[in-house]
Amino acid sequence: MQKTAKYKIPGGKLVEVKVEYQAEIENVEIFGDFFIHPEESIQRIEESLLGLDVKEDEETIANIIEKVVAKNNIEMIGVTPEGIAHAIVMAVVK
Amino acid sequence: MTWRVVGLEARDAYFNMAMDETLLTRIKEKKSPPTIRFYRWSPSAVSIGRFQSMEGEVNVEECRKLGVDYVRRITGGGAVYHDSKGEITYSIIAPESEFPKSIRESYKVICQCVIDGLANLGIEAQFAPINDILIGSRKVSGNAQTRRGGVLLQHGTILYSLDVRRMFSVLKVSKEKISDKMIKSVEERVTSVSEHKKVSINDLYGSLLYGFTKGKEYEFGNWSQEELEKAGYLRIHLYGTRKWNFSR
Repeated sequence: MQKTAKYKIPGGKLVEVKVEYQAEIENVEIFGDFFIHPEESIQRIEESLLGLDVKEDEETIANIIEKVVAKNNIEMIGVTPEGIAHAIVMAVVK
Repeated sequence: MTWRVVGLEARDAYFNMAMDETLLTRIKEKKSPPTIRFYRWSPSAVSIGRFQSMEGEVNVEECRKLGVDYVRRITGGGAVYHDSKGEITYSIIAPESEFPKSIRESYKVICQCVIDGLANLGIEAQFAPINDILIGSRKVSGNAQTRRGGVLLQHGTILYSLDVRRMFSVLKVSKEKISDKMIKSVEERVTSVSEHKKVSINDLYGSLLYGFTKGKEYEFGNWSQEELEKAGYLRIHLYGTRKWNFSR
């Protein structure tokens, strides 16, 4: 199954996700007009979500992203781990 | 530190983005001086942010029909229509030690150059975090920044005049939405210099030049052969490719 969702981060930018999944997340693409430094690290964030049970809650997903952000010294502007997690949950419960 | 200023030139989207990346790399290698450049986009073009989807943001078919180029930027941020006669873009590229460490703070410092330039025309503008400049409550300038290997690049556009209908024909908004109501709402959110002052685009350029060089030691310069070669390579092998432009 492939679903998309758009979420405007309060006080931030628009984040859009495209999620492919069965019981687990098979692919995630994150789009939007936000800033992530360094830019290449968006792939690390996307990859960190592969294999995740689609029933995971927003907080768990946000924590996974937060760990990747901290480990790789990623700076996010206009987007947050919680915002991406929210969009992913929006997509898979649609 | 002496800045090099490369004066207003009109180039295609692929060259414009390729030269920005060339400078980012060469300043890191200490082969090019810190540079402030001004340019226009000829032909007109759409640029999208690093994380945006080309198909999602741009009416590629319409661009082809109108001869409007489309390119993915190295920087994040949103999709922008760069009219060949309707705006000026700047890039400032230098070691990040020249700017505040915080990205948010450095947006403010660099955007102040644009604000000073507009003030020189008698237009009062304000910085609106994260990366916008407003006149009143309407956006006149969008800016985007990246940092790589200790070098900062910020580029941004300053709207001189606005053709909302053209903008909507190349950015992806469904035909039904291009109603008068929608156009009005964009006009309520976006403005341009010529709405506020009867000046030529050259006057705007002169004022931006003033805003960006005020208090800096600088000299006018041109591209070196090496810079043109590297930018020429990136223009063809990266920014002009479907692989890069449609990578998301």
